[in-house]
Amino acid sequence: MNLRVKFTKEGYLKFISHLDMMRLFDRAFRRGNIPIKYSQGFNPQPKISIANPLALGIESQAEFMDVELNERMPEKYFIDIMNNELPEGIRIIDAKYVDDNNIVSSAVGWSYYEINVKVYNVEDIDFIKGFIDKWLMNTEILMERTRIKKGKEIKDIRNIRPLIGNVTVAEHDKDIRKGTEHELKLYCLLKSGDSGNLKPTDFLMAFKEYTGLDMDIEMADIKRLNMYLEVNGEIRSPM
Amino acid sequence: MIDKISFDRALKRVEKPARYIGMEKNSIKKDLEKVDIKFAFCFPDVYEVGMSHLGLHILYNLLNNEGYIACERVFAPWADMENEMRKEGIPLFSLENKEPIRNFDFVGFTLQYEMSYTNIINMLDLGNIPVYSKDRKDSDPLVIAGGPCAYNPEPIADFIDFFVIGEAEEIILDIMKIYREHKSNGFKRLEFLKEISRLEGIYVPQFYDVFYKEDNTIDRMEPIFDGVPRVINKRIIKELDKSYYPDKLIVPFIETVHDRIPLEIFRGCTRGCRFCQAGMIYRPVREKTVDTLVKLAEKLADSTGYGDISLTSLSSCDYSQLRLLVSKLISKYKEKQVGVSLPSLRLDSFSLEILKEIEKVRKTGLTFAPEAGSQRLRDVINKGVTEKDLETAVTYAFEEGWSTIKLYFMIGLPTETKEDVLGIKDLGYKVKNIFFNLPKEKRKGNLKITLSVSCFVPKPFTPFQWIGQNSIDEFYEKINLLKKEIRDNKITFNYHDPQISYLEAVLARGDRRLSKALYKAWELGCKFDGWSDFFDYEKWMEAFNKTGIDADFYALRERKTDEVLPWDFIDTGVDKKYLIAEYEKAKNGTLTRDCRLGCNNCGINRSFLGGVC
Repeated sequence: MNLRVKFTKEGYLKFISHLDMMRLFDRAFRRGNIPIKYSQGFNPQPKISIANPLALGIESQAEFMDVELNERMPEKYFIDIMNNELPEGIRIIDAKYVDDNNIVSSAVGWSYYEINVKVYNVEDIDFIKGFIDKWLMNTEILMERTRIKKGKEIKDIRNIRPLIGNVTVAEHDKDIRKGTEHELKLYCLLKSGDSGNLKPTDFLMAFKEYTGLDMDIEMADIKRLNMYLEVNGEIRSPM
Repeated sequence: MIDKISFDRALKRVEKPARYIGMEKNSIKKDLEKVDIKFAFCFPDVYEVGMSHLGLHILYNLLNNEGYIACERVFAPWADMENEMRKEGIPLFSLENKEPIRNFDFVGFTLQYEMSYTNIINMLDLGNIPVYSKDRKDSDPLVIAGGPCAYNPEPIADFIDFFVIGEAEEIILDIMKIYREHKSNGFKRLEFLKEISRLEGIYVPQFYDVFYKEDNTIDRMEPIFDGVPRVINKRIIKELDKSYYPDKLIVPFIETVHDRIPLEIFRGCTRGCRFCQAGMIYRPVREKTVDTLVKLAEKLADSTGYGDISLTSLSSCDYSQLRLLVSKLISKYKEKQVGVSLPSLRLDSFSLEILKEIEKVRKTGLTFAPEAGSQRLRDVINKGVTEKDLETAVTYAFEEGWSTIKLYFMIGLPTETKEDVLGIKDLGYKVKNIFFNLPKEKRKGNLKITLSVSCFVPKPFTPFQWIGQNSIDEFYEKINLLKKEIRDNKITFNYHDPQISYLEAVLARGDRRLSKALYKAWELGCKFDGWSDFFDYEKWMEAFNKTGIDADFYALRERKTDEVLPWDFIDTGVDKKYLIAEYEKAKNGTLTRDCRLGCNNCGINRSFLGGVC
């Protein structure tokens, strides 16, 4: 019995890692007596799988996970019981039994983010819109990435352009402009999943490198607004 | 509340920000405007260590059960967070309401190990609370402390307004009631301290003067007011089975040292190991009944969702109904995928049978503590295990499929010779041979033996409280000897840093003159001294030099048994005469029987009526 669950991760809970989330759900299932399936072996683990784990510090309005249950329980019961057990900041907002064998963690292909980031030393924030459009006209955007495999640092250069979908800059209220310091609000659709993955911070990094803008990426507020599957060239909700 | 914007900025820059956010399941956040007393429970170490401490959970829930008290948690911020806090001007705060600790009525520290003392100073400073007790005004919080290290409170006497000696579950509420009255009538620090100094178990260091002899030893300690007790009796819970135990525990988001339900099955220990402070100060043994424990386990499992119940005590295999308890718990929780574990195993056959029950669930590494390498030395310390016990235990373990064994030892025990030290190596090799002497089809996995050696630190209220510790050089000689002799790829040899153990020995048996050295060490940047990546021996030596303290006087000097010791004014219920007799027996290698086999007249059952031991 595969239950697909949509939940949020907001406020200070954005500082909880993926591993912490797995533990947190395991304990909430136990407290709520949810008939969750466990793996075999000496160290049984609950059969849950969370799609495209968030990096530490990023909020989300729409996370997805698949939960294997031993017996069917009404979706509403599941939601109510779990929300009673989960901390403020993590809310289950939807649950639905799915019969496809394609578990959500391998099915998800895209994530849609809202990014708020401070930009310094810019006269007019409208410039940035133009920058982005021009940047995305490139068919190739190269970025170096460092990965650690078997304790060794591996550097490679990849083209991230195919990993970037729509990018829009939100309209800004003229009042919030304070001299040359601006709060930039961006919406972007980025690949996230087994068939390519671009972290929103890497997206910002590449953009910063291209434009030379003085941007405080470390302090950026990033929120995932939704996640999508890609089916025959179209995107749709996992639920 | 602290400034949220600066706090958010800080969180984005630090490692493991979840250490500082609170909000865990079963944490309690009250409206601070609506309570009479705000109590900050401070653990002078990082979150993951502090959250694994049972006493925190007991007192947190006990205090919060009272509607008029809000108890909130405070931990030492890790160095990265401390930097951010100092940069952003964020004072030390509680996790629940993010309230600066200087707005609390009580700031209470639990003293679990001596090496956390500089963190106390650092936390007070980060909280904008005057570090020295004498500098605090009526408007400042009361800084109090308790826990095992409070049995020698003297090294931190200058910083703490009062200590609670012994088990605090009962007295803490008495203190709160008295404080509430004082607060409603206009709190005066001195008057409050005078009143509670008359309660049993309360020690107010500023009410005593200490006089020294020319040789720097203590001449006497005098109360400065009439009515202040000369001797402080430890507090004890007489009926542990009926005493308060929480049915909820805070469940951390991040992994902590002990990520499980701690089920305290008894207090005290009857073994009488002569090096062990816990075995002396927690007397007498008081067990909880199986009924109480099964009920508690059920409530705790339901309220936490933990997957593991750990039976905790000083020597869990000594619990009189262990088999019954274990089988009840296991049969009840097998279905729910909740395991049961026993953290302190002994090397006897009984333990192994229990192990058989438990091992059905999980097969992690096994740990035994022979403590010394030779039978002679094990007799000196009254560790009642034999080489035969070890052989039986590991043979059984290997046959049952274990292949990772860890053995704990101490070096620097009284009367130790080179042969005793080499005995550690011999035991390691013996274990290896046992494994390879098994028929091949019976061996499972890859053999891994770890010999872990720590440096003995003599502690107050033990029969070894008078002995001089080995010098750092002596420790290194023994370590190097073992390093040279242990050459086997199946055997790993670990050892503790002798410099840390030396400092621990100074602080454990120090007097109140050490307060100024602690302050100086903190000024020089010492903190998290129990963490080898922070510990800075040179800075400590500089602190001792600058404050005119001879550290060897405290660590290395052998005391005469008639010397006035800094902690002599505390009565743990165990007679000093008994400790002296044990000290003498140790020198001859004479064993003292387990108290369960007959009373050894330590004095505890005269001092605390009602204790069964």
